[in-house]
Amino acid sequence: MKINGTHDDPVGIRADTRLLDYLRDQQGLRGTKEACGRGECGACTVLIDGRPVLSCITLAVRVDGDVETIEGVTAESAELRRQFAEHGAFQCGFCTPGQIVRGVALLRQGLPADDNALRAAISGNVCRCTGYSGIVSALRAAEENIAMADSGENS
Amino acid sequence: MTTISETPRRVSGVVGQAVPNVEREAKTSGSSIYAGDVELPGLLHARILRSTHPHARIRNIDLSRLAGMPGVIGVVTAQDLPDRMYIHHGGPLSDRGVLASDVVRFVGEEIVGVAAETPAAADQALSCIVVDYEVLPSAVSVSEALGPEAPLIHSGGNVPVRHARRWGSVPAEQEAAVTVSGTYLFGRQTHACMETNTVTASWSSATGMLDVWISTQSPYLVRKELAHVLDLDVHHIRVHEVAVGGGFGSKSKISEYEAIACALSMKTGRPVRLALTREEEFTTAKCRHSFEINLETSATAEGMLVRRDASMTVDNGAYNHSGPSVMAYAGQVLGSLYRIPAVNVDAELVYTNKQPGGQFRGYGGPQAIFALESQMDEVADQLGIDRVDLRILNANLAGDTTLTGWRIDSARLVECLETARSAIGWQGRGAKAPEGRGIGFAASIHVSGANIYEGADKSSATVEVDTDGRVLLRFGAADAGTWQNTVVAQFVAHELGIEPDDVQLITMETDATPTELGSWSSRGTYMSGHSVGQTARDVAEELRLHGAAMLESPVDEVWLHAGVVTNGVTSVGFGVVVQERLGGSLVRTREITLTNVDQVNRETGISNLSGAYSFAVHAVEVSVDEGTGKVKVERYVAVHDSGQIVNPIAARSQVIGGVAMGIGYALSEELLYEGGMSMTRSYIQYPLPRAADLPEIEVIFVEGDDPNGPYGAKAIGEIVLIPPGAAIANAVADATGVRMRELPLTPDRVLAALHQRDRKPKRNYRIGQRPSRWQIAVMRAWYPRGLHQFLHKFGTRWGRPAQRAELLAVETPVDEAAASAALARPGARVIAGGTDLLPARRQGLVQPSVLVDIMTIPTVGRIEQSGSDVAVGAAVTLADLAIWSQDQLSVLHEAITAIATEQIRLMATVGGNLCQQNRCWFLRNDFMCYKRGGVSCPCYAVTGDHRYYHSVIDSHRCQSVTPSDLSTVLSALDATVEISGGDRKRSMKVVDFYTGPGEVRLGRGEYLRSVVIETDKFSGHDYRKLNRGHGDFAMISAAVSVATDMNGTVTDARVILGAMAPVPYRVHDAERLMVGRTVNAIDVAAAAEAWCRRAHPLERNEWKVQAGAELLQRSIAAALARTQSGGKP
Repeated sequence: MKINGTHDDPVGIRADTRLLDYLRDQQGLRGTKEACGRGECGACTVLIDGRPVLSCITLAVRVDGDVETIEGVTAESAELRRQFAEHGAFQCGFCTPGQIVRGVALLRQGLPADDNALRAAISGNVCRCTGYSGIVSALRAAEENIAMADSGENS
Repeated sequence: MTTISETPRRVSGVVGQAVPNVEREAKTSGSSIYAGDVELPGLLHARILRSTHPHARIRNIDLSRLAGMPGVIGVVTAQDLPDRMYIHHGGPLSDRGVLASDVVRFVGEEIVGVAAETPAAADQALSCIVVDYEVLPSAVSVSEALGPEAPLIHSGGNVPVRHARRWGSVPAEQEAAVTVSGTYLFGRQTHACMETNTVTASWSSATGMLDVWISTQSPYLVRKELAHVLDLDVHHIRVHEVAVGGGFGSKSKISEYEAIACALSMKTGRPVRLALTREEEFTTAKCRHSFEINLETSATAEGMLVRRDASMTVDNGAYNHSGPSVMAYAGQVLGSLYRIPAVNVDAELVYTNKQPGGQFRGYGGPQAIFALESQMDEVADQLGIDRVDLRILNANLAGDTTLTGWRIDSARLVECLETARSAIGWQGRGAKAPEGRGIGFAASIHVSGANIYEGADKSSATVEVDTDGRVLLRFGAADAGTWQNTVVAQFVAHELGIEPDDVQLITMETDATPTELGSWSSRGTYMSGHSVGQTARDVAEELRLHGAAMLESPVDEVWLHAGVVTNGVTSVGFGVVVQERLGGSLVRTREITLTNVDQVNRETGISNLSGAYSFAVHAVEVSVDEGTGKVKVERYVAVHDSGQIVNPIAARSQVIGGVAMGIGYALSEELLYEGGMSMTRSYIQYPLPRAADLPEIEVIFVEGDDPNGPYGAKAIGEIVLIPPGAAIANAVADATGVRMRELPLTPDRVLAALHQRDRKPKRNYRIGQRPSRWQIAVMRAWYPRGLHQFLHKFGTRWGRPAQRAELLAVETPVDEAAASAALARPGARVIAGGTDLLPARRQGLVQPSVLVDIMTIPTVGRIEQSGSDVAVGAAVTLADLAIWSQDQLSVLHEAITAIATEQIRLMATVGGNLCQQNRCWFLRNDFMCYKRGGVSCPCYAVTGDHRYYHSVIDSHRCQSVTPSDLSTVLSALDATVEISGGDRKRSMKVVDFYTGPGEVRLGRGEYLRSVVIETDKFSGHDYRKLNRGHGDFAMISAAVSVATDMNGTVTDARVILGAMAPVPYRVHDAERLMVGRTVNAIDVAAAAEAWCRRAHPLERNEWKVQAGAELLQRSIAAALARTQSGGKP
C-alpha cells in the first residue's frame, strides 16, 4: 500500500489490526480519529484509491491501494478548511478530519446539486456540535471558490 | 481582587465581528492534540472492569490469574485507593467512590482498573478477573425504587433529596377561569460527544507530581476532585492543555474514570492512557435525567397567569452527581418564565439501579420547559387567545424580579415572540395549513453562569505583553468546542487593538493560568468577557499611559492599533514600550467577582443565580405522517435574546447545533434499558440527528445590550436546546389535535395517540383459533409470570456463546474453488466489505480464526448482464449496484440508497447485506439471549423494549427479524441466489434463502456467490422504508412488484414486508387479491390489510401492524400506478 504518497509495506502486521490503529499507532498519523469503532460515525474516514473508507472497520492487512489520510489532503483541502472556519462548520473539531476527508472526496467528484442529496452524502459523518448547516454551506462555498479560482487561472 | 465597577460598553472593534476560529488551522488539519493523541514514552493502556449486575454485593475479586500475564503491568481496586468519595455537591450528597469496594449499583460501575502494554492485553486481563457477586434485588425504575418492596440502593433511602417550594401567592382579585393539567415524561438523553472520555496521566515519584491531559471543560474542578480522591495536594497535580472533543456539560466536572488512570500511573510509575470505548460512553457517562412532571397551570379569562403547581419525580440513577442541582434548577425555571404570582413545586430525586444522571446542557431546563410551554398552548386554546399573544401578555420584562429571585435586567422576550411569529408565518390557530402540517412555539429563559459553587461568581485571567510586543493570554478554562478560545482572543484583541490571531493563548494549564472554573453553566463568554476584558483593559491602559509618555502626547490622545501605541502621527511598538518603561514584560492578572449575584439558597430556592438571563423563542413547522406516526421537522426558526453577540459565526453555530441536539431528544434520542442493562450503546441504536434528518435552521438574534453583560453580552450555549421539545410537541398538537406528553415523539407513541383520538377499535388476532401460534402465545404469557426471570437467572448459566478466538489470518483465494476449500476449514468465515462482520466480532457474536476474503475473486465482484437477466456478484458493493441500477432498475436503486450511509454503501457488499446477522439490540449488546447463548436462555425482547426492531408475524423463540433491506426488495423482484461450494453449486429464490432472523441456508464451505435478477419480469415496482433516522435499519419496509398483461390485468405479483417477520415476509394474501384482476378493480386497502389477521405482535410493537399495512397500501398503489405508466413513477 501507499500512505499519503509514500510506499509502505506493512510486514508482520497482525491479522486483526485495524487500519485506524495502523495509521495512528504505527504511522503516527493521529489526525484520523476513532469515535465509535464500529463504522457508524465517519470520524475515521480515510480515502483508499479515492474512495472514502471507514478505517475503524477495515483490516490493515486487506488494504492494497493508495491511502490518503487528513494529513495527506491538507493542501488540497485548504479552501475547504478555510470555509469550515468561515461558516462555523466545526466546534470541537473531533469529527472534522473525517468531515474534511469526506468533503475532499465529494469535491473531487463534484457536489450533488441538490441540498438534500448533499446532506445525504455527508450523513455518514456524525457531528454532535454544529447541526451540519455550516458544513453544507462550507462545502458549497469551497466548491464555488475553487471553480472561480480555476476559471480565473484558465482565462 | 477587582469587583466590577464599570461594565464595558460595546464599541466598534473586534467584539461583535464574524471572526473565524483562531484554532482553525490545527482543528481542520487533524493536528490538534486531543487527550488520546498525547504520546509519552512507556505509555500503558488502561481498561476498566465494570459491574455486570445492576445491584450486587462484591464478595470477592479474584486477580490471581493476572499474575505473570504477558503485558499486564498494573491493577488497581478500591483497596489501593484512599477511602474517599468524590466531592461533587458535597456533604451528605457525596455518595460515590472511585472504584466499587462493597456494593455495585449499576451495570457498568467501575470495579477494577488494569494497565497493560497494549489495549488488547488489557482486554485480555479483564477477561481473567473473576468477581464473585452476591446479586441483590434491584430497582431499575422510579416506580420500583419507590415501591413498598423496594431494595435500599443507598443506606439513607432511595430519595436523597426532596423539596417543597412555595413561591408567591395568588392575589385575591385574580380568579382562575381556566386550569389545565397533565403529566409530562421526558426520556434520558446522552451527550454522545464525538471524543469519548479520555485521559492520559503520568505520575513521577521523583517529583511527586501528577501530570494529566484530560478531555474536560473544567481543569480546575477536575484537579480539585482528583486531589481529594487521590489524597494529593492540588499543587501536586498539573492539568495540561489539550483539544477537547465536545462537552455539552458531560465534562464540566470529573467523570469518574480519570482517577483510575491516575491511580494506575501512580502504582506502575508509568504513564497511562484511558480512553473509554463508545459503548462505555453510552452506558456509563452521566446522562440527562429523566423527569416526570405533573403540572397544573391556571389563568384568568383575560389570559393572565394565576398559578402553577408542579410535582416532579427525577430518576437520579445510582448516584447523586448533579441530580439535586438539576432538579432544583428545573423547579426554578418553572418559577421564572413569564410573570406569574404563585408557583409551587414539590420534587423528589429517586435513586435507581441505572447509570447516573449528571449535568447536561440545559440542566433541567428542557424538561421543565416541555411541560410549561405545552401547557401555555393548552391555556391559550381553552381561552381562545392566540398562542403567541398569551405568551406576550405574560412575558418577563426588563426590571422584573421573578418569584425565584432572578433579577431580569434585560429581556427581549416580547420581541423574540413577535419575530418568531412573523418569521414562521403564523396566522393563528385555524389558519389553513397543508394536510398533516402544524406550527408550534416555545419560549425559554436561562442563566448566564449560575452561582452554584463556591467561586462560581469569580473569574481570572492574565494578560502579558512581552518585550517583543507579543500578547499572551493565560486563561484557565477549556474550549470544548464552544469557540471559547476564539471569544477570549477577541476580548484581548478588542482592547489592545490587535487581531485575534495575534493573541497567543495558554489555556487549561493549571500551573500556568490563574484559577478559573471553566466553561459550563453558560458562563464561558459571560465570565470571560468580564475577567479577560477587564484584564486586557488594564493592560491597554498601562500601554497607553507609558506610550503617551514616550510619544510626549496626552494620554487621551493616544490609542492602540496593530501592536503600537500611536497618536496618529508617531507611534511606538508595544515591545519597546514595555522594554523601555518597565524593563521587561507587562504582566497583569485580575480576578473579578460579580457583584450582582447571590449565593444559591438551597432552602428556599430563591436567589439571583446569575448576572444575566437570556431568552429564546423557537418556532417550528412539522409534518406528521398519520399513517406511520413519523414526525418530520420541515422548518425551524430560532430567535434569541443573548444581548450583544460577540461572534456571529460562533453564536449561529451554537444555535443550530443546539437545535439539532434538541430535535434529537424531541424525536428520537433515548437511552433504553432492560433489567438495568443498556440496549443503546451505539449511534445506530441511539439515533441522533444526521445531516439528512435536519432542515436548514434559521437563526435570528434580537440584539441589544444587557446592562451587566460584558460588551452587552448574555449567554447562548445552553438555551439553544431548551425550547425544541416543547415547540415540536406543540407543532404536533397543532397538526393533529393530539397533545403528546412524552418525549421523544417516536412513531409508536404518535400512532398510539392518533388511535386514541380516532377511537379506533383494537385489532383482534384470533390467536385462540390459530393452533400454530398457541405454543408461542403460551410462552409469551408465561414470560412475565416468572419464565423470563427463571431463564434469565438460571438458564443463562448454561449459555453457550461463541468462544473467543484469535483472528490468525486473512486468506485471499484466487478463485471460487479455493474459497470453498478455505471455508471448509473450522473457524473460517467469509469476509467481503466487513462492515457487519467486524462490529459483530467486537460484539462477541462471531469469532472467526480465519477470514476468507472473497473480494479478491474476480468472478464474484462483477455485474454481468445478459439480455434482461443480470447476475450481481456477491462482492459487488452496494454503491456500485446503486449506480448500475439507477437507470436499469430504479426500485433497486431506491432501496439501496435507503440502506445505511453512503460510506457504508461504498464498503458493504450485496452478499454481506443479504447474510448479515440480525440487529436485535439485546443480541448486539451482550445480553445472554436465546440467539447468543442457546436454548436455555431467554429472548429478552418478549418483555423488553421491542417497539422497533422485532417481529409482528410468525416469530418463535427469537423475536428478531432479518434486517437486510436488500432481502426485501430482491424477494419482491423474485431474484435468485446462487450459492457456491466447491464443486457443487446450487440456487434458490431469495425469499427461500432465509431460515430465521438473519439466518441463511449456507452449509460449511458454501458462500453466496451472486444474485440473479430478471429485470423485466415485472412492470411496476415500489419500495418504501420506515426507520428511526437516516442510516438506520428498517423498522418496516415494503416492496411490491406487479406484472400486467395488455388488458391491464395483473398476471403476477410479489408483495413483501421486511423487518416484520423472522424472514422476508411474502404477503400471499395480498398477492391473491391482486393476481387475475385488472389494476382498477383491485381493492388496494383490502390487499394491504389482508395479512394483518395473521399477525401476532408483541405487547408494544402492535403499531407496526398498523403502520405496515399503511406502508404496504401506499406501496401497492404506487406499484400499480407505475405498471400503468409503463413503469415510470
